[in-house]
Amino acid sequence: MRECLDEAILQSYFDGELSGKHLEGVTSHLATCNTCAVTAREIEAENGLLAAAFAPEFETAVPTEQLRRRIDAAIAGLQTQGLPVNESSASTVRAWLQSLVAPLSFGPQRAFGYAGLVLVLGFAAILGITQWRTAGPVVDQVASTDDVSRPTKGFLGGTTAPVDVQTVTPDAQPVGTLPVSAPSPRNAVAKRRTTNSATHSSGSVANKASSQPDEKVKLLPGERSYLQTIAKLDSTINASDRPMRPALQAEYQRNLALVDRALAATRDAAKKNPNDPDAAEFMMAAYQNKVNLLNTVAEARTFNRQQD
Amino acid sequence: MTGQARALTEPMAKEMATAATALSFDEAFTLHHRAVFRTARSVVRDSALAEDVTQEVFLRLYRNLDATPGEDLLRAWLLRVTLNVARNTLRGQSRSMARDNEYQKETMQDWFAPAPEEDYERRVAIEGARRALEKIKEPMRSCLLLKQQGLSYKEIAVTLSLKETNVGSLVARGRKEFARVYGKIGGSR
Repeated sequence: MRECLDEAILQSYFDGELSGKHLEGVTSHLATCNTCAVTAREIEAENGLLAAAFAPEFETAVPTEQLRRRIDAAIAGLQTQGLPVNESSASTVRAWLQSLVAPLSFGPQRAFGYAGLVLVLGFAAILGITQWRTAGPVVDQVASTDDVSRPTKGFLGGTTAPVDVQTVTPDAQPVGTLPVSAPSPRNAVAKRRTTNSATHSSGSVANKASSQPDEKVKLLPGERSYLQTIAKLDSTINASDRPMRPALQAEYQRNLALVDRALAATRDAAKKNPNDPDAAEFMMAAYQNKVNLLNTVAEARTFNRQQD
Repeated sequence: MTGQARALTEPMAKEMATAATALSFDEAFTLHHRAVFRTARSVVRDSALAEDVTQEVFLRLYRNLDATPGEDLLRAWLLRVTLNVARNTLRGQSRSMARDNEYQKETMQDWFAPAPEEDYERRVAIEGARRALEKIKEPMRSCLLLKQQGLSYKEIAVTLSLKETNVGSLVARGRKEFARVYGKIGGSR
């Protein structure tokens, strides 16, 4: 085999889809052809990347028992309805038992109903608690930030300014003077200051914020509101007289590092490819992850403080 | 949802019916429910909906047990039905509704379960892979997904109604594209 191998053949080779003469031919060609050997190594590396990327998803548990129960109940339902079925292996006793269980099982519609009820009750409970324990106005601030900071419609436009500037409390600290224990937002701001690659809409609500002193800075579209939210949450998290619980602190720092790493990577990509909507979307998603994380921690802190 | 999906699956069931070594329903469930559930979840991106889809798929198997293919292609048959049902499920919901639900669910998770560190890392990793996969065009995307689940080219071809000889090049193109997009998320680590 003198001709170089095309990628499909090499892919099949690595996927174990070749056999016989074909397999031998590829093996011997790879032993002698440097170009193909290089390509083969690339494919191997990318296959490894794919496997690693999908591993967490595939390792996530599958609810085997619950599925089995649901399906048994549904089959029992079919049988009691007298619909034609091709299998008669399920014994009548089992079917009868299943028919007893069926009303207790969660059909899709019922599950949605219950889920809705739980959601409503959950929100009501949280609202109730926050109203009842008015120990700190911070709670309201965090809650309202949480409400408005999650854009529910596309990340790309940047027009759904995720933060309502009106909710910034007067004593919220400006970005530049944030306490030291959470360095990341300032890193993000510092990076932002060095970039000139994109424009921002000058008429946007976000310009009102006094926490962005450097007006020469060019942000990537849609970034500003995220940065504001992050700065605000960050000051909420740090605006406490007592230190964070060590366990929470450690977990927070680790997760923050993770999120910041992703943020830096996506931001680089978005900067390099200003016209690539994917890159912009990935960056916004990374910002959203950070906001979610900060929200969770702010909430945990506020809650702990109230419990003390 | 059912009419269209059945129209798609039934001819295939007949054409592949090789009554040879048919599995019992219980065996089929034990062997393949994970692949069905995971494939469904990768399309609908929600565990509860994926359970609904899985239930529907196995009910169809139950109803068509005589007409389903033998052991060697049963998984392909199941996953083909899975993809149909899952896509119809998605179509059945208005997109904004789905997004709102997802948003609310995420919110509630954040409220109630500050997950331990591994869970958080895992969630971020899963989300990154999903985002990258979303950017890959069909049928490359499904090829990649099924390949990662361990399906052979023949099974992939049957599941997606492709020529088996084309699967290798589709997997190769999908793999390249995934590596490129995943790199933008910083997933090359």
